Amino acid sequence: MTSAQLYYLLNLLIYAGIDIIACLGLSQQFGVAGVTNFGFIIFQAAGAYTAAILSLSGDSANGGFQSYIGGWNLPFPVPWIGAAVVGGLIALPFTFVVGRRLRGDFAAVGLLVTAVMVNLLVTNYKPFLNGSAGLSLVPAPLQGTYDPAGAGYQWAYAAAALVLAAGAFWLVRRVTESPYGRSLRAMRDNDMVADSLGKNLVTQRAAVLVLGGALAGLSGGILVGYITTWSPGAWGYAETIVLFAAVIIGGGGSHRGAVLGAILVPVGFEEATRYIPPFGPPGFVDDLQWVAIGLLVVVFLWFRPQGLLPERRRTIGATAPSFEMPNEDVVSLAAPLRAARGAPAAASAAAPGAGGAAGPIAASAPATARPQPPGDGVVLRGVDLVRDFGGVQAVAGVSIEVRHGTLTGLIGPNGAGKSTLLAMLAGTLPVTSGQVIYQGADVTGGPAYRRARLGLVRTFQLASEFKRLTVMENLLSAVPGNRGDSLAGALRGRRYWRPDEDAAVARARALLERFGLSRYADTYGGDLSGGQRRLTEIMRALMTEPGMLLLDEPMAGVHPRLARQIGAQLLDLCAGGMTILMVEHELAIMDEFCDPVIMMAEGAVLATGTMTDLRARADVVEAYLVG
Amino acid sequence: MSLFLASLGFGLVTAAVLAIAAVGFTMQFAVTDVLNLAFGAVMIASAFVAYALNQAGVNVWLGLLAAAAAGSVGSVLLNQGIYTPFQRRGSAPITMVIVSLGMTLIIEFGLQAIVGGTSVSYTMSQGPTVRAGGLVLTAVQFVIIGLAAVVMAGVHGLLRYTKLGKAMRATSANRSLARNCGIRTDRIVTVTWAITGALCGIAGTVFAINNGSFGATSADLFLVVILAAVFLGGPGQAYGAMLGAVVIGLATEISAAYITPSYKDVIAFAVLLVMMVVRPGGLLGAAVT
Repeated sequence: MTSAQLYYLLNLLIYAGIDIIACLGLSQQFGVAGVTNFGFIIFQAAGAYTAAILSLSGDSANGGFQSYIGGWNLPFPVPWIGAAVVGGLIALPFTFVVGRRLRGDFAAVGLLVTAVMVNLLVTNYKPFLNGSAGLSLVPAPLQGTYDPAGAGYQWAYAAAALVLAAGAFWLVRRVTESPYGRSLRAMRDNDMVADSLGKNLVTQRAAVLVLGGALAGLSGGILVGYITTWSPGAWGYAETIVLFAAVIIGGGGSHRGAVLGAILVPVGFEEATRYIPPFGPPGFVDDLQWVAIGLLVVVFLWFRPQGLLPERRRTIGATAPSFEMPNEDVVSLAAPLRAARGAPAAASAAAPGAGGAAGPIAASAPATARPQPPGDGVVLRGVDLVRDFGGVQAVAGVSIEVRHGTLTGLIGPNGAGKSTLLAMLAGTLPVTSGQVIYQGADVTGGPAYRRARLGLVRTFQLASEFKRLTVMENLLSAVPGNRGDSLAGALRGRRYWRPDEDAAVARARALLERFGLSRYADTYGGDLSGGQRRLTEIMRALMTEPGMLLLDEPMAGVHPRLARQIGAQLLDLCAGGMTILMVEHELAIMDEFCDPVIMMAEGAVLATGTMTDLRARADVVEAYLVG
Repeated sequence: MSLFLASLGFGLVTAAVLAIAAVGFTMQFAVTDVLNLAFGAVMIASAFVAYALNQAGVNVWLGLLAAAAAGSVGSVLLNQGIYTPFQRRGSAPITMVIVSLGMTLIIEFGLQAIVGGTSVSYTMSQGPTVRAGGLVLTAVQFVIIGLAAVVMAGVHGLLRYTKLGKAMRATSANRSLARNCGIRTDRIVTVTWAITGALCGIAGTVFAINNGSFGATSADLFLVVILAAVFLGGPGQAYGAMLGAVVIGLATEISAAYITPSYKDVIAFAVLLVMMVVRPGGLLGAAVT
């Protein structure tokens, strides 16, 4: 190998290290947490400028022709550390753009525009960072002691870049493979639902912005120490797209994918095209290169959106189930339950299958501390609840009581105000007037997540599973208070959060077994049937250890046999002390499982009683049952 | 005072160019649900169609019509070939934005590979200087303002008084409901791409005329200004975009006169970010909670 070849090889290694660090940072944001940061290049630029002004001397060694702030002449490794710190810090204000519930694509556009503008500002304002000419003659690390042109120095630089890349890999792995990483991925899949499960979207997004920003900053610091020059031309908004292409092609959310993408796109592709002999007018090859980057993005998103090395499925080995409830058995399970209609307490005794399932769970699952209901047995009480939508009263003075251990049904024609009532009870919709009393305490003013912590948990009318989390992970994501479910906890490592995780997994396994879904533990939420999704959602709500569940049409769009299976499980839960209020359209389900049933029409309660009672009332029949 | 009037005049011209582009962009987004970042690239590509004809001796105002046709055809093809297939697959809005950004690179640099990296200008007369109400503008600038007024009136008439406009508004409000009401939404979407694409082509050409010289990547920064006008009025709000265009157009040019031209687009950028953070629904949109 000639020395020119050696230098070139080392050059590639150094670039590989730099691009791997940057791509890992971006993959953490875009692939793991779903934060589409089109302004990513700003953070690399910030790191590069920081490292430059930290290592340049104040009077500009270049005869004073450069003007810039700082110039502290600080020794290695201060510039690199500073690059990472500044890259992370300037990410914080961007939380205002992505942290709120701004549509993800709007936030992305905001970041893209920011990247264009920051570049414009730095280009036009010369005193800050020497304007469009940029900074040059940036001292290489330790250049006073060693000769940056020497082969040994180049080897050491490549080694440092690669070691730091390995460190970055270790860091993002530690975060992503923790309960916190699971929360990030849950936010990526469905941020509204993650929010309702108590995930703080703002701090989670801030954390990945800072983590990714610090990695981008570090990569910029290493880069500027090597090429010794940095100017606005090096960080146009389009450079971000190159990194996006790398992450998409490698595989979003996959760390090995980010490494592969970094090697393939910014290093491999951009280097390879350097050897195309220039043809056509000046700049022709460069233009085609950008076209190719655009094509790579679009073509990969079409043909292989998961990338070359897709995100790994996190299997938390499902144990061999002692009880399995394949769909074919549903009827035989539900049959004895039908006999026990209206008598929840008797249900589990009358159903040997369900009883067998519930048995071992009582022993293995930690007993949920379920507060005892107040003396009268009413767990949830709504008093004169009113909800006004711009003059229309969706709910007009409804008072209801839900007693401990009942599976109470809520029926009514479309527009009767059922979902509105449920939302007011859960706190996802504020009341216009009236009171919500849970376990004897007035919770009317409290937000949804606070009620959820008290044990009053709701599900949504639309399926809300996390699609790219396994069923097991969907369940685990709902567990409150896992020590590993914070950035600090995740960084302390597996040993710190393992006990919490193991306990949560044990509870999840027990639930999966109870609902007969053990063999789907490692299936992605997005690959489930409609009914299985419903079950997963109910199980996820149960993982929060609720005292009472508010279910909004849990059986909508579910095969009738599976609907009965769900109903049987709900009855079983109630027999164990759970209280459930369920909105449902299907009268057969109400007939079979719910007692009492509350009938609403036009924003008011029309009647309450068993379905048999309701059918006997002429006004009820007229309002709903025949119409 | 003369400085103010001069900048006011320039502001009106910028607002006119901006209004055509912003209304096209925002209607595109409203009806098709694609935040088409390639809008700027299509603008410039259309402007180059007019340039090619202009080079062949055709009057630039005829070229403008050709550019409108090119923008229209190009946008329909872009939608049929790229966006619709992705949407049919149920791609998330964010995926569509990434795709549109990829298409931006393909169109912009594909164009640059063909036309080269140097800036070009139309061969045209600026016409006599016209004074009106204290404003001093060239005849061409007055034509641009008039053209924008005609386009705005046309959009207003379309949305307010035609069946097509009604169908577009219905599709924008709720596509599946519109389909259930018997509106052929697929066709409405295609027609919308054709109409907004024509606006895009017109905007690209008047942008190029107003700018004096232009190159393949000239619209990058202008796209930011378009986005600012769109978000100020509320994404998807045609009248909001008109209002936003006037505010942003005047604000950028007047600030350019009094502060410095280098930073005039920064005003647009600041407006955009503030609107996104404080009121993502825009001035005319509903407050988003």
